Amino acid sequence: MSQAFSNNNNSFNIATTFNCTAPDDEAKILAWLSPLEPWVRHRDIGVDRVDGIGAWLLETEEFRRWHNASGEDESNHATLFCGGNPGVGKSYIM
Amino acid sequence: MGCNNSSLVIDKLCDEAGEGDTAAMCFYFDFAARSQQSPVNVLGSLLRQFVIGLRKIPEMIVQDFQKQRKGIGGRGLQVSGIMKMFQAITTTRRTFICVDALDECVPEDRMIILESLRQILHGSPNTRLFMTGRPQVRSEVEKRLDGAATFISIQPTEDGVIRYLQDKLRKDTTPEIMSSTLEAEIMKTIPEMNSET
Repeated sequence: MSQAFSNNNNSFNIATTFNCTAPDDEAKILAWLSPLEPWVRHRDIGVDRVDGIGAWLLETEEFRRWHNASGEDESNHATLFCGGNPGVGKSYIM
Repeated sequence: MGCNNSSLVIDKLCDEAGEGDTAAMCFYFDFAARSQQSPVNVLGSLLRQFVIGLRKIPEMIVQDFQKQRKGIGGRGLQVSGIMKMFQAITTTRRTFICVDALDECVPEDRMIILESLRQILHGSPNTRLFMTGRPQVRSEVEKRLDGAATFISIQPTEDGVIRYLQDKLRKDTTPEIMSSTLEAEIMKTIPEMNSET
């Protein structure tokens, strides 16, 4: 795993070590792709989140369809937009 | 990004990412950070997360990186360059892109980002897009994504409000000044206020 991710002990995607480029170059390439670190915000939100809140979303027909659709019917359900006013907890469902 | 039972949708996707050929990326828009959250940085961030999930950095990206390094001081990436890399590598895997608080992205950038996401979805039928935002941006999402979006309205549930209150009361740093009467009143009144709205 790259240097840039050394503090991220549980990476989002299942990663193995890169085996082609030098470790130094890997870190540089990743930093070149983007300097932003959205996993910091992800972690902060996780700390504040109360377990179980929003679980209803995963049971909705809309979510299941979005999540399970594959192949043919994709185009209609490729995007799921969850809308709500400020403070209803949108970030916590993500 | 951690799969530490701290989020909902991303955790669910993470569980599957552990099972096989699935990738999940996310981005959180923040109005206070808008100057850094340019389209090139946002799309680059998604690409970066995707690349980390691969066994090695795709040769094409390594080459592009080495090519730009030859320019004076290195040449910065552009949206078109990122899109080219994206389209070259996301076609094979089941990919989930999660974007929070789309309304906190400035409109000019939002237009470019939504258009880019549309191209990614179009070019890679295995890709799914999950977004949150205030209801005002819904029509923009529908328009930019050719109407191919399902909408869910997020509202606090009574169960959610009760769980939240219980959690806050449990973590109260001055429990000695909380009486059982007041606690009972909080647990009764606030969930009622939610159900009235």
